[in-house]
Amino acid sequence: MSDRFTITLDGRNCPATSGETVLDVAGREGVSIPTLCHDPRLDPAGACRTCLVEVAGERRMQPACAFRVRPGMEVTTGSERIARHRKVLYGLYLADHRLDGSGLPSENGSVNRLREQAARSGALVLPPVNAPRSGRPGDSNPYIRFDPDLCILCARCTRYCDEVEAVSAITLTERGAATTIGTIGDSGLLDTSCELCGGCIDTCPTGAMTEKKSYGIRHEEMEQVRSTCNFCGVGCQVDLKVHNGRVVKVASPPPGETVNDGNLCVKGRFAYDFIHHEERLRYPMIRGRDGELHRASWDEAIRKTTEGLLAVKEKHGADALGFVSSSRCTGEENYLMQKLSRAAFGTNNCHQCAAT
Amino acid sequence: MTNSIPEIRDADLLFVIGSNTTEAHPIIAMEMKRAVRNGARLIVADPRKIWMADIAHSHLQLKPGTDVWLLNAMAHVIVTEGLTDDAFIEKHTEGFEAVRKGLSAYTPEGAETVTGVPAEAIRQAARDYANTPRAGIYYTLGITEHTHGTDNVYALANLVLMTGHLGVRSAGMNPLRGQNNVQGANDSGATPIFYPGYQRVGDPEVRLKFEAAWSVSLPPEPGLNLNVMMKAMARGEIRGMYVMGEDLVISEPNASQVEAGLNNLDFLVCQDIFLNETTRYADVILPAACFAEKDGVFTNSDRRVQRVRKAVEPPDEARADWEILCDVARTAGYPMPQYESASRIYDEMAALVPAYAGISHARLEENVAGLQWPCPEPGHPGTETLHLGGPLIGRAGFQVVEYRESDELPDDDFPLVLSTGRVLYHYNAATQTVREPGSMAKAGRNFIEMHRRDARRLMISDGQMVTVSSRRGEVQAEALISPRMRPGCVWMPMHFADSRANLLTNDAGDAVTGTGEYKVCAVSIRA
Ligand code: SF4
Ligand code: SF4
Ligand code: FES
Repeated sequence: MSDRFTITLDGRNCPATSGETVLDVAGREGVSIPTLCHDPRLDPAGACRTCLVEVAGERRMQPACAFRVRPGMEVTTGSERIARHRKVLYGLYLADHRLDGSGLPSENGSVNRLREQAARSGALVLPPVNAPRSGRPGDSNPYIRFDPDLCILCARCTRYCDEVEAVSAITLTERGAATTIGTIGDSGLLDTSCELCGGCIDTCPTGAMTEKKSYGIRHEEMEQVRSTCNFCGVGCQVDLKVHNGRVVKVASPPPGETVNDGNLCVKGRFAYDFIHHEERLRYPMIRGRDGELHRASWDEAIRKTTEGLLAVKEKHGADALGFVSSSRCTGEENYLMQKLSRAAFGTNNCHQCAAT
Repeated sequence: MTNSIPEIRDADLLFVIGSNTTEAHPIIAMEMKRAVRNGARLIVADPRKIWMADIAHSHLQLKPGTDVWLLNAMAHVIVTEGLTDDAFIEKHTEGFEAVRKGLSAYTPEGAETVTGVPAEAIRQAARDYANTPRAGIYYTLGITEHTHGTDNVYALANLVLMTGHLGVRSAGMNPLRGQNNVQGANDSGATPIFYPGYQRVGDPEVRLKFEAAWSVSLPPEPGLNLNVMMKAMARGEIRGMYVMGEDLVISEPNASQVEAGLNNLDFLVCQDIFLNETTRYADVILPAACFAEKDGVFTNSDRRVQRVRKAVEPPDEARADWEILCDVARTAGYPMPQYESASRIYDEMAALVPAYAGISHARLEENVAGLQWPCPEPGHPGTETLHLGGPLIGRAGFQVVEYRESDELPDDDFPLVLSTGRVLYHYNAATQTVREPGSMAKAGRNFIEMHRRDARRLMISDGQMVTVSSRRGEVQAEALISPRMRPGCVWMPMHFADSRANLLTNDAGDAVTGTGEYKVCAVSIRA
């Protein structure tokens, strides 16, 4: 069983439970600590050093995302020493990162959290290192793009691919300054065990792993509408990103909030092209005497529908009608379909196409 | 599901049967992978060596259609080795004695002969399942898409009840729903035997309640399920159909008979977002809005009601299904109310179903993780785990289940057993996913998966086009030689309109649900 005790966070007593990290407690207490390599779905890596805090009795600063709480522990999250550490750290990151005219980390459309953090905390200006980090420009997969000059090697993507999706399609490759995110034999993702879940995109803090389809559309210019995925029965929550009246991207809500814990599969995250597909039905149609479908007005089509169904009912009885509802439609629509069948046409022949 | 998706990661044992979870429910599979990483035991029962079987501690690779034998043999072990939860059986169930007696014939050795699974593996699985308190069962269409699908479900329920794995976190009996809103469609009463909320059509009191609410007199007899409707259509007894959001020609078994039936109809109206195989027979086509273009709710596998929100406008004149349905009802002379919004429709339904009475669109705005029914009043938090502290109503009944063979077994003419199913990259009739480049790059064509031994006997090489035939039809597909199959068994996805697995499948239906036997039919293959 886990023990409960208190720790001191910036001089305040806070309840904590054994097994928790300093970051867990701070999050609950509303104390914000910057992080880059941390993702609550992954084992703590303690890799990026952004979250360092001071712990009384420890000579070195410790990563809040990985350091476990102990009874009576005293933690300081903001100090001169921490501020100095961050300035140097961000300076080192920036020296090895694509920057824009203002000297801050670039954005390719996605949020770059390094940019926000460096802007807030300030960063030493250090001479740029010319890292020979390579991408996979020839990768023909339709969804996932990797911009190596925005990568900070936090390994969230590879750890996600390993620990959550459990397919290990991507991995840290090369060595030293050339270290990059690669695949075995440098193959395109379609030729690896990758299942195109897009979790690597979702977890990447800088937009280095990003979506091809919406590449370059700025995140501030997209409106966001929370909805439920329309594929399988898990009911993942999705954030539909809308730009100029079109859904241009689907993102997962933050981990911990909804049933999918920040995850999506290939269908939920990427299979949205059908929404604005040119083959969508746009007008009601009625089959003419020539056997072809002809565009009709809604009035005509509804009238024709009603006449067709009522004629069958008159001649053969209500139970000669069948109503097929759909698990693809909403609960309200299924309710109305069975009400239509029962109350308006007088038959219980109403079912939908699904056993489970 | 009796339990909830977030409970999976805390399970100590997962018994996954008839569910290719990584492909059909990838996000639930992630939770299962997490549980296994945390030390849970994983038992997979499936005729194919699916992805989950690779990380499983035990893979029971049974012959298709022999689930009842396997499950009864597990129950046999639990009973004979005294692993039952007698206190639970005593307090919360009835009918155990009859089941116990009936199980004596189902020895693990007998099971080995019928199912092909070693007796010792069955014993071990039964012991592990019974001895682990937080042991959950997860199943899907591999259990239900059989002529004995209901028997399969009863056999599973017997295991749950005799071990008391009900009303316990991370345990229970968990059907994973195949489609986004199957649960919701059933909950809303789109079934021939139930009004919304599983209130029986045949119960006069229930009927009176709905007659009063809808100000109309209602038919007292239950209707036909879809499987029976398709057959009645072929016989000319069903003469008019209203099909909303389904492609019957792709998704129903024995497709050529379905097409003949559709061709015979006096009148067919299809309401959909794309033309499909079924709309070819339609007299009227009504263009509908897709999920991103309308408001409403979907209910997922763990009874979680969640919002669908309108993000963009439907194309040109397409309209939300609910608006169209209202217009049709009114034109037909029924005074369907003028609902201002989908939330009003939900309110009308919630007022008629006690289990949803506490749910409304307004409450869903505040509850970002949705609300799980039963949720009987507005202050109620919803129900994560069902049956905590005993079955909801009275006692849970054991059911005696006897093994019956599948409707169609292999013979000299059709010597192979075909099962059909889904792949990760497509969704059902694939009208949405064939329009998606990634899905097509990963899975662009139909295939028939088979064991090397069968391929060698038939002189077929990997990637070759072959003809697959059954008593009902034939299709062309690419041979995929794979170590995942059992010899004698082949597998085909159901998604492709140009090579339809359902031309082959058997439309013999389960006696209770009418679900077709998609998982077992006899076929032959030639180069
Ligand atoms: S899309 Fe998913 S499977 Fe593919 S590399 Fe990214 S995390 Fe791994
Ligand atoms: S691609 Fe993104 S997630 Fe992966 S290591 Fe680089 S910065 Fe981190
Ligand atoms: S967030 Fe703690 S070390 Fe990266």
